[in-house]
Amino acid sequence: MDFNFTEEQQMLRDSVGKFFEKSYDFDTRQELVLSDAPWSNEVWQQFAEFGLLALPFSEDQGGLGGSVSDCVAFAELFGKHLVIEPYVTSILLGAAALAASESESAQQLLENVQSGGTVASFVFEEGRGTASLDQIEMVASAIEGGFTLTGEKRNVLAGAEADILIVAARKGEAGEPALFLVRQGDAGLSSRSFTTIDGRSAANITFKTVPAEEIASGRETVERILSQAIIAQCAEAVGAMGALLSATAEYAMTRKQFGVPIGSFQAVAHRLADMKIAYNKARATLIYTTALAESGAASSRDMAILKGQTGKLGKAVGEAAIQTHGGVGMTDELSISHYHKRLLALDAQFGGHSYHLRKVGQS
Amino acid sequence: MNIEFSPELEAFRAEVAEFFASAPTPAIRESGRKTTSVFASFKECMEWHNILFKKGWAAPHWPKEYGGTGWSVEQRFIFAEEYRKADLPPLLPQSLGMVGPLLIDLGTEEQRAKYLPPILDGSDFWAQGYSEPGSGSDLASLSCRADPDGDDYIINGSKIWTTYAHHANRMFMLVRTSNEGKKQQGITFLLLDRMDYPGMDVRPIVGLDGFPEQCEVFFDDVRVPQSGRVGEENDGWSVAKHLLKHERGGGNAASPTLTRYCQRAREAAAETPSPFGGMLADDPVFQQEIGELEADIASLGHFEKLAISGHEIARDPAFPSMNKTMNSELVQRASTMMMQISGVDGLARQLEALRVGSNVEPLGSEFDLISMPLYLNSRATTIYAGSNEVQRDLISRTIAMGG
Repeated sequence: MDFNFTEEQQMLRDSVGKFFEKSYDFDTRQELVLSDAPWSNEVWQQFAEFGLLALPFSEDQGGLGGSVSDCVAFAELFGKHLVIEPYVTSILLGAAALAASESESAQQLLENVQSGGTVASFVFEEGRGTASLDQIEMVASAIEGGFTLTGEKRNVLAGAEADILIVAARKGEAGEPALFLVRQGDAGLSSRSFTTIDGRSAANITFKTVPAEEIASGRETVERILSQAIIAQCAEAVGAMGALLSATAEYAMTRKQFGVPIGSFQAVAHRLADMKIAYNKARATLIYTTALAESGAASSRDMAILKGQTGKLGKAVGEAAIQTHGGVGMTDELSISHYHKRLLALDAQFGGHSYHLRKVGQS
Repeated sequence: MNIEFSPELEAFRAEVAEFFASAPTPAIRESGRKTTSVFASFKECMEWHNILFKKGWAAPHWPKEYGGTGWSVEQRFIFAEEYRKADLPPLLPQSLGMVGPLLIDLGTEEQRAKYLPPILDGSDFWAQGYSEPGSGSDLASLSCRADPDGDDYIINGSKIWTTYAHHANRMFMLVRTSNEGKKQQGITFLLLDRMDYPGMDVRPIVGLDGFPEQCEVFFDDVRVPQSGRVGEENDGWSVAKHLLKHERGGGNAASPTLTRYCQRAREAAAETPSPFGGMLADDPVFQQEIGELEADIASLGHFEKLAISGHEIARDPAFPSMNKTMNSELVQRASTMMMQISGVDGLARQLEALRVGSNVEPLGSEFDLISMPLYLNSRATTIYAGSNEVQRDLISRTIAMGG
């Protein structure tokens, strides 16, 4: 067993980390969130230069042949720095679906996404959230030479800005889930954009007989694509938890009430201890599940444990961080509340922790 | 990152499973099934210890030169998993898990040569003399005195919560050798060769589950040789802290035991009617609860596997305390779930049926026989080895240091 990052992974982590330390501090990030831009194109280009946009794809497909642990190595930093660029949706979901397709147009699009010229968006969640593939209601109806999509999708990250949409729908009324390619601007698409609580650009999108091309089908394929993205997303959650733990510890040791640091009170100290335990549990499960996935052995139960634990523990760590900070933890000005909102968002997507933990109990 | 899944490992799993299926005597199996504590029935436990010793498997976590197995991380986990699947009695931790590793790390050459072989083959069993009536969580306040006299010490005072002292033939203990300076500075770590020195008296304490697992040990002018000292006089606190790492950090993984408890709970729930109709195993609330519990146990298992593999997560100074806190609270949650499934069938006090070799048929199932005593006994897990309040204090201190 080896659970360590390789030297190469550590180097990538260091250089991406240095970039964020220098160019993505919290104030800069907040300016970006409040600006009209959905995210920073410069940062996206920087991702391209680091090779992140091409990393997960095979060399045959113009990629760098990276693995899931490569993605985990830098995705933790996305959480630590509250990154709003649509990496998971565009690369690990949208482009990964393109990579699963044999069609030439999909291959061409994949190359464009890897170079940073095209942004993809993964269109998955429906009303109040889609925890399992069985919950997908959108149906792709077969027409001559393709399909049409009708229905509504929610909380689509980069949904209004992406050049292409990769949409999860059932193939026919009682069909299996499959992924379909839709081009932005097609008649029949209408979006309402919004900013999410954690600072990302998203949209609710209505589809009315929108022409679509099938690019990947079969439950296994869709689940494989989702798994890799969920692992990266959980890495993001663990990164955010780690940032909250250190910020809260520092605050508890410097903030004084009754003439002493509040961290010297046992009730506060024990909450910090619980935050540290929660962070280490989530981190251990992330690392172990990543190694399992790398060996091709992560079962759907393993995935439910990872998603359930990071969701539940992340929410607990966020709430404990706000409570320990007191009034200032409630403000928009401090990063604390933003980390908590990121953790809430990561929990809600692809099924919240209650769903995943009950699934563990069912299996 | 990678995890190996090789045919060799599967062959190893088969070898272990086959040994566990054939080697234990019926009494050892009965002891394993009836274990409602960290501490299995003494006689069968030591018999099993000796069988494992002869196979070379008594101390997988020891260095190979002292009798360890030299197994990989994967092999150690497979061994632990198969062990629990077979419901075998866990070997007692005081000798193999505490004083043995301590002597390997800090003992003299003579001490290692004298004490390690009988620990390994199970002919010796050591009691741990730490707590005193006035010194529990505040262990460093201990007052059991040892006064130098020639080549000996004269011990006066008492120890309490000394698990299985009535079965032990040796004892390691902390004594006060000085009242100068800080309370931690006057403590000495001693090895006692016998439990029947003149002036030494062992009295078992019956616990809330009805069993005499704990003891009190009284010392009245007990003369022991100074050659049994580990480390320097008055430096016993650092020796004890070193040992605590073994006690709390655990050379053996706890998660397979917890997983086994959940399996037993699931099996029982599958045949327990739910008051809302159907079986308890299909009740959404039960599924949610056991799902949360099993996911937490899985996380502990991941933490343990990372630790055994040498990952930096275990080099955190808070690791032993985090490990102890998680493990102890999960034992309580699992046993609580088992006890609640048993309901009124857990209310009978069945001490005779629980005794190995009694041939007394339990009133209900074997699950109902053990669930309540296990629950009651597990109230101790968050108290012993440093209460969880103390563990959280220790963890929070590492956070203050920047962890």
